[in-house]
Amino acid sequence: MATVVTTAPSPGRGLPGWVKSPKFARILFPFVVLGIWYFIYYTLDSRIFPAPQTVAVFMWEEITLTSGVRYSSAAENIYVQFGITLMRLTIGFFIALILGTIIGLAVGISKKVDAFFHDWVMGVLAMPALVYALFLGLALGFGNLGPILAVVIAGTPFVIINIREGVRNTPKELIDMARSFEVPQNKITRHVLLPSLMPFFFAAIRYAYAVGWKGLVITEVFASDRGMGWTIKFWYDAHRAHGVIGYAIFFIIFALALEKLVFDPLADRAFKWRPKMDAVQMAEGDFGGVQREGFLLIEDQEIEEGVDTTVAKGGNF
Amino acid sequence: MAEIKVEGLSKEFGVGEDRVVALENVNLDVGGHVFVSIVGPSGCGKSTLLNILSGIETPSSGKVTITQDNHDAEPGYVFQAARLLPWRSVMDNLLFVQKDRSDETKARCQKYLEMVQLGDKVDKYPGELSGGMQQRVGIARAFSIEPDVLFMDEPFSHLDAITARSLRRELHEMWSQTKKTVLFVTHDVGEAVELSNRILVFAKGGKLEDDLQIDLPFPRDPAEDAVAVAKAQVLRKFEELDLIAS
Ligand SMILES: Nc1ncnc2c1ncn2[C@@H]1O[C@H](COP(=O)(O)OP(=O)(O)O)[C@@H](O)[C@H]1O
Ligand SMILES: [Mg+2]
Repeated sequence: MATVVTTAPSPGRGLPGWVKSPKFARILFPFVVLGIWYFIYYTLDSRIFPAPQTVAVFMWEEITLTSGVRYSSAAENIYVQFGITLMRLTIGFFIALILGTIIGLAVGISKKVDAFFHDWVMGVLAMPALVYALFLGLALGFGNLGPILAVVIAGTPFVIINIREGVRNTPKELIDMARSFEVPQNKITRHVLLPSLMPFFFAAIRYAYAVGWKGLVITEVFASDRGMGWTIKFWYDAHRAHGVIGYAIFFIIFALALEKLVFDPLADRAFKWRPKMDAVQMAEGDFGGVQREGFLLIEDQEIEEGVDTTVAKGGNF
Repeated sequence: MAEIKVEGLSKEFGVGEDRVVALENVNLDVGGHVFVSIVGPSGCGKSTLLNILSGIETPSSGKVTITQDNHDAEPGYVFQAARLLPWRSVMDNLLFVQKDRSDETKARCQKYLEMVQLGDKVDKYPGELSGGMQQRVGIARAFSIEPDVLFMDEPFSHLDAITARSLRRELHEMWSQTKKTVLFVTHDVGEAVELSNRILVFAKGGKLEDDLQIDLPFPRDPAEDAVAVAKAQVLRKFEELDLIAS
């Protein structure tokens, strides 16, 4: 005798649907942080740890220029400080992008060039930002050059690695397809090679910006007399925790704004042909199933040996 | 009329210990409105042969010519995986392999997409289509350049039986209408018997072992006695050639 046991799915217990949505979880996060913050504030010595409202007031005064604080730096207020940092970031970022793309292409195409650069790329990748921050300060003084170079040093290896993986992951079977149909090389470059590089290029942009920004702020702390990094150190030197935390929150807001207002729309436009995915998937060359399928299905063709994408997504975050 | 001539064709990959003989001294003559299947165990050089014929690979030795009325013939290729550009729409995938983008060309692409019943999917991206639909786009792409000869490398082997069956019918219909020369690689003897006038049997080491004629009227229903008998005969041939075990 066979007994069929079925269990009816238990109806969602009490909670309305919107509470369980990812969107709600996302909105919930800052409130949880705020709760923990208040908890710590009331359990710890409040002279050391500022209340959330103290930080909020500080941030408001910084933005509205009503605090009366004049920084002991040529850059007098947050806007000028931020402008300087942004300028350094942008210049360094584009240099890293161009330099990294050129080296990345060369390294991806030629094994010899790869051998030439490999150890040094890994070395720089593993180097703490503090090391070159201090060195750049000593070598170049407190101008713009040091912080810009910091962005270049931090960002370039990531661009190199991502572009290299992109070149190594060129879809051979699509190129063969195009050749068999006698499609001219320039058309293959435009319609096959460049689009297949795009996900890697976008990953490169995101990583280079993120690590460049980190390297820059640290360098500004140690090797600059202005900029956001310098400003956060100003509040540290003044023993004002609300200043340090306030600026940390400014950083977070800036990062999120850039993500939502620049990177996401760019990526949406470039990748409207596939379902949404994040930079790590892109760096892994996951082309939304379609491409991957192509690689796996051609079982009787030689597939490129496994690529170490771990580096592209790992590194010193 | 298209004519494929293969003389003393050999192909090796690698050197020293890695050396692999993919094809050995293959001689072949195929022409006209025929549907030729190439069968044989995995690794016997079937794909390599098509790749050489279509210009993706070059021969190690021997000679290959494909002519259409005494000039170079244009081949179309359908692969095992559809090999579509994922970042281009269905229509743009067809246009990618065309010589121009004239209205006439676009109308021709549209026509072949309709032949594979995808006339309403021209603006979709490949990722939005099922595996069977993607494969049909690949077939339409090959037909859309109106090639003189058509190479197909196990085009249905990754599809479910029902989809494969209906595509086989569509393909045969298109072959009858367009009078192409088709070279069709498969490891499915039933498929070969159902579709082709002629079956080339390859063995390990890339040798052409046998060349069989299947003289039965089309369309062939695999359930029909005559078709089943023909299939049994081909399978017996395989046994004789000791191909089943490998
Ligand atoms: N690009 C290549 N490099 C090295 N060996 C290859 C390459 N392509 C095919 N081969 C080898 O040649 C032989 C025939 O391959 P293939 O033509 O793909 O066989 P089939 O399509 O009949 O399964 C196999 O041993 C395969 O490993
Ligand atoms: Mg094959």
